[in-house]
Parts: sequence; structure tokens; C-alpha cells
Amino acid sequence: MPMRNIASLVLTAGMAFLLLVIGADLALGYPDMRVGAEYLRIAGPELGAANIVTAILAGYRGFDTLGELSILFAAATAASLVLGHRRADARRDPPGGLVLSAGADLLFPLLLVVGIFIVVHGHLTPGGGFQGGVILAAAFFVALLANPARTLNHALLGWIEGLAGAAFILIGLWALVEDGHFLTPLLPLGTMGELVSAGTLPLLSVAIGLKVGAELAGLLAHLADTEAPDR
Amino acid sequence: MTLELPVDLLFGLNLDLNLDLTKVMTANAIVLPVVLPLLAAFLMQPLAQVSRTLARLLGPLVLALGAWIILNAWLDVGPAPFSVAIGGFAAPLGIVFYADQLALLFALAVQVFTLLFWPGLGAAAKADAAADRQRAPRRDALALLLASAATGLALSGDLFNIFIFYELAAVASFGLVCADGSGRARIATLRYLFVSAFGSVLALVGIAILYLQTGTLNLAQLAQVAPETLQGPIGLAAFALLLIGFGVKAELFPLNAWVPEVYATAPARVSALLAGLVSKLAILVIVRLLILVFQQPEASQLLLVLGVLGVLTGEFSAWRAQDFPRLLAFSSIGQLGLVAIAFSIDGTTGILAGTAVALHHLIIKSALFGLANRWSGGLDALTGAAKGAPRAAGLFVLFALSLVGVPPLWGFWIKLLIMVGLVQGGSPLDLLALGAILLATAVEAHYLFRVALRLYQPPVQDQASRLAPPARWDTGVAYLLGACLVVISVAITPATEALRVLAQQTGDVLLYIDTVFPQPLAYKE
Repeated sequence: MPMRNIASLVLTAGMAFLLLVIGADLALGYPDMRVGAEYLRIAGPELGAANIVTAILAGYRGFDTLGELSILFAAATAASLVLGHRRADARRDPPGGLVLSAGADLLFPLLLVVGIFIVVHGHLTPGGGFQGGVILAAAFFVALLANPARTLNHALLGWIEGLAGAAFILIGLWALVEDGHFLTPLLPLGTMGELVSAGTLPLLSVAIGLKVGAELAGLLAHLADTEAPDR
Repeated sequence: MTLELPVDLLFGLNLDLNLDLTKVMTANAIVLPVVLPLLAAFLMQPLAQVSRTLARLLGPLVLALGAWIILNAWLDVGPAPFSVAIGGFAAPLGIVFYADQLALLFALAVQVFTLLFWPGLGAAAKADAAADRQRAPRRDALALLLASAATGLALSGDLFNIFIFYELAAVASFGLVCADGSGRARIATLRYLFVSAFGSVLALVGIAILYLQTGTLNLAQLAQVAPETLQGPIGLAAFALLLIGFGVKAELFPLNAWVPEVYATAPARVSALLAGLVSKLAILVIVRLLILVFQQPEASQLLLVLGVLGVLTGEFSAWRAQDFPRLLAFSSIGQLGLVAIAFSIDGTTGILAGTAVALHHLIIKSALFGLANRWSGGLDALTGAAKGAPRAAGLFVLFALSLVGVPPLWGFWIKLLIMVGLVQGGSPLDLLALGAILLATAVEAHYLFRVALRLYQPPVQDQASRLAPPARWDTGVAYLLGACLVVISVAITPATEALRVLAQQTGDVLLYIDTVFPQPLAYKE
């Protein structure tokens, strides 16, 4: 038996044992609120964001969010390296017909508005840059699905993506120069609940939304652009 | 959060309050080696449309700048550890960077080694230069992301932040491994991806258990509350999950099935980075957890057992390997098993031995993979290669001697240190590990010297012309690393003393806690 199989067997047995131990002893449903309670207490007054989740994601743990943006970027970059280029004479899927294209055209402005709304209101309502960005990407991808012959401008997407990512980091560096710490929220907090409030958090949210939107749109377009198998 | 008083600037930097402001800025700038590569990676593709030359230079420039910043922080603010609160939010609410000598040493190593093994250097000499130009910006961006993630792994003091950087390193390395686009590399990457994703899920479960038990993700606070909350089977289960999760990149025993195929098919410089650098940082994370959070003896024993199995399986598989990169890959598994064994030894001795063997392997295996850049065929093809490339062959012999542990070289002193540590431990498990190391050393000597002999055999007709000598840059890098090895071997006493100071600092849990929390937490129950 090759080494690989033995290793898999050992691993599976160990995992089963671990699950048993965990299942028997864990106090599920009664989390220790050491840090969580403190966030709930001070996040509102300190950051001025009505949506505490965004206050944590873009404020207290903004650095993690930057890392997550980078992971998505790495995945999109790696995928575009692997997917490669389309032959000029490769077959394309046929257009989706009148109903699909009319539906896609109707959906496009709707998705765009919803996406932008969710991105811009990240510090007020549930959602934020990641969620809104995905909806923005979907707006462009629906059109692409209805009519596969359409293409997205990858160079433009690259620019949006690069500049939005750079904007996030530059806001952080601005804080480093201004305040001494990378990614400290700057600007006045304003009145909680208003669109212009919570300092730089909405700006970060917009940067995230644009980056995620452009990245996913590019990635999906790349996937759609891979050659259909010849039948 | 606009601040008026300069004293407030000191909020995140927990040193004496009378430190002057420039030192504070130097310390706070330690985020830059993580952040600037990200910025450069984001801007790489747009920049390549404006100027290809600029885009090619951007990566090395950013890494050099990062190395300078880290060195500056080390000389200016060190040697005492310091912590930096990112965003100005004090721990445990915000994320902190903890920079002791160990973290700074590895952060510096990340910049330097990524620079030395920069995938873009000299790659354009290929026949398909046009395709290479197409890929170059993306590949360089991924290399920068890998460097940023590895630096973050060394410096971060927050468990979830560490997980993020671990994921970033994983995704970036998937792309780098199959960047040159051979079918075999893609299949190897796919397996690597599956194993890695599996490990990440388990690590995440481990982190969730820790959070459920303790309510915090900050390593210093975890260290404070671990004695009450993480004793017993739950804590051990969490450690086992984290060990499996981070063990994927650290090439620990049951999770290293991806290693040989990936290193054999990836570009040699990428293999050098993964085997040399990334594996060490994954081990570093495990060691931090072991020191700070999981102090129960069972945790060390688990690491010891996995280490012994890694040493045995790695070295015996290397003995059977038929081509040079695979031999190096299996030997790397064995060496990382040795690292795990060393770190499982109690106290300062263990940290000292572990750090030393990790650095030793970092230097040697990176250089060997660099040499393997052109020696990637079967072992038979290496016959007589010394005639075409006498310097590269000489360097190989030097590295092989140190890997095996022949007396005047650094490798000998490290193995001696580990063995003495194991004997002092004295438990049956320790002695078993000792036996395994001795056995593995004999096996290691056999297969490495077999290759060395083959290099110096008279070449078979028409083969010498087929085998190009390693590229000038790679040989140069190997020279540099060989020189490092010789210098450390000569200055073994001061080098070990410096490492001992570093190890004492790393093992000091109270120092870690006091550095991250200078005052007791106001709201602690």
C-alpha cells in the first residue's frame, strides 16, 4: 500500500476521534463574550457606524478585510493565469434569445442600483462592500450569460480593480501619516444613521465594493470566455 | 478619532512613554512590509499596461524597501520586543503586530529570500518570451502577495489575522506553482488545493473552538486565559485541528502528500520559496501557539510523534526518489520533521534548536532548489555534471555535508543540540525520536553522497552537452547562501549565543503578554 493511502487512513481515524471528543465536551450555544460584549458597548460611539458588523469589519478588523480582499485578488489572478486565452476560431454558445436578453436588459439597471445602494450604505444597513460588489458583478454577468458574444473590457476592469484596491491601502497609509497608525478611521464621525457619517468607513466600503465587483466580473467573464467543448 | 496629543500616538506602541516620536514611527512602520507589497500587487497589471519595465522592477524594489524598513525597526527599536496596534485600536479589540527578534528575523528572511528567488529574474530567456511577457505581471503580483502574506504570518499577533495570511499564502502559491502552465503542474496544484482547503477548514474549526472557549482571538489574551479555559481534551482537540491545518504548509507527516508532485513540477524558484520559506512560517505559527496557548505536555508530544513519522517517511522516500527535485522534496519533508522534533523539546533548548534547524534548512534547501532549476531531469542525467558545472557541484557537496551533519559544519552542531535536548528529556518517546534521527541521518548520508558521486563520475558520451549548468543568477545565490553557511559554521559560538537570546525572548510568555498589554485590561472581569 503506498504511503499516501496509509497517511489518509491515519488521518481519517484521527479526525473521527477528534469529532467525538469535541462533540462530547463543547459548550455549544454559550459563547464567552470577552471581546464581543466590548465591541457591542463601544463600537457605536467610537466609530459612529449604525451597522456594527461593518464597524468591526472595516474598523477594528479592517486589516483582516484588506487580507480578504487580497485573497480574492490572488484567486482571480491565479485563475486568469490558468484559464489562458481563447482561440480566435473557437465556437461560442448561441445567444439566449429574445426573452433572456430582454430580461437581462431589464435586470441590469435594477441590479446596478441595488448593488450601489448596498455598497454605499455599508455602514448603515446590513451588507457592505463585499455583498454589494458581488451584486454589481452579477449585473454585468447576467448580460454576458444572455448574450455570450458580448465581451467585457478587461483592461478597464483591471484599472478599476487596481485603483480601488490601491484606494483602500492609500486611505490606510493616509492614516499612518496623519495619525501614526495604519488604517485608523479618520474624518469626523457625523450623526449616526446619516449617509455621510462614520468617518472613512464608507469610503473603505466603496473601495471594497468596486474592487470586489470588478474582480468578480472579470473572473466570471474569463470563465465564460473559456472555449466551449466541441461536440 | 483625530488625536491632539503626541502622547496618544504612543497608545498603540507599548514602550516607555518617554521614547521619542521617530522611534514610534519607525515601529509603526512595521506594517509597511506587509502593506506595500499588497499595494504593488494591486497596481501591477494596470502599471504593466503603461510601462513593462517599471512593472518588472516594482516587485524587487518593494521587497528591498521592506527589508530596509524591517532592518531599521530592528536596529532602532529592538532588541526588546514591541507591539503595534493596527488602526490604533488597542488589543484585544484591534489587531496587533508583535515584533520580537524571531518575528523580525523571519520577516527579514521573507523579503531577502523572495528577492533572491524572484520568479521574474532571467525567466525571459525562454523561447516563448511573448507568452512569458503576458504572464509576467500576474506572476509578479502573486509573488508579492506571497511575500506579504509570509511577512504577516511572522508578525501578526492575532489568530484570525494569521489565518487570513495563511490563506493568502496558500492561494498565491497555487497560482505560482502552475504559472508556467504545464499540465502536470496543474494536476499537482489541484491536489495541493484539495489538501490545503481541507486543512484550512480544520484550522478554522480549531480557531472557532478557541474563540468559543475563550471569547478572544488575540494571542496575548489567549495566553492569559489559556490556563483556565484550554486545559483538557477540548484544548487538545483545538490544538490538533490547528496543527493539522497549519501542518499542510509545514509539510507535517500525514498532510504532505502534495509536496513531491508540486516541487517536482513547479518552477524551481517557486519550489525554493515554498520549501524554504513558507513551510518555516507555518511552523513558526505552530510554535507560537505551542508556547503561548497550548502548554500541556500532550501538545508537544503530538508534535514530536508527527515529527518522527515525518523524518522517517521523508528520508526513506527520498532514498527511493528517481529525480533530483523529488529527492529534494522528500528530503524537505524529513528536515521539517526534524524541525518539529526540535521544537517539541522543552524550554529554551527546544526553541533554540528548532530555530537553528529551521534557518539551516531555509538556507540550504532554497539554494539546492535554485541549483535544481536546470538539473530537473532524472538522477541518471546528472552523471558527470560536475564537469560542466564544477562550482555548482562543489556547492551541492557543501550543502549535502551540512544537511547530513558532518562535523565542522553548522548542520552538525544543530543535530548535536537536538540529540542532547532529547537525551535530557529522557522519556521513551524522546529516545525513540533520537533513534529515528540517527537512522534517518544514515539514510540521508547514503542518498546525498550517491548523488554527489554521480556528479563527479566521468560523463557518458553526449550527455554532458544535454545538461546545461545552472543559471548564473542561481549559482550566484547558491554561492551567497553557501558563504552564509560557512561563516555561521566558523562563528558557531557567537551565532548560537545570539540565537539563544532570541530563543529566550521567544519562550517568555509573560514578556509577550506585557508587551501587548502594558496596563492590565480595564474591563477584565
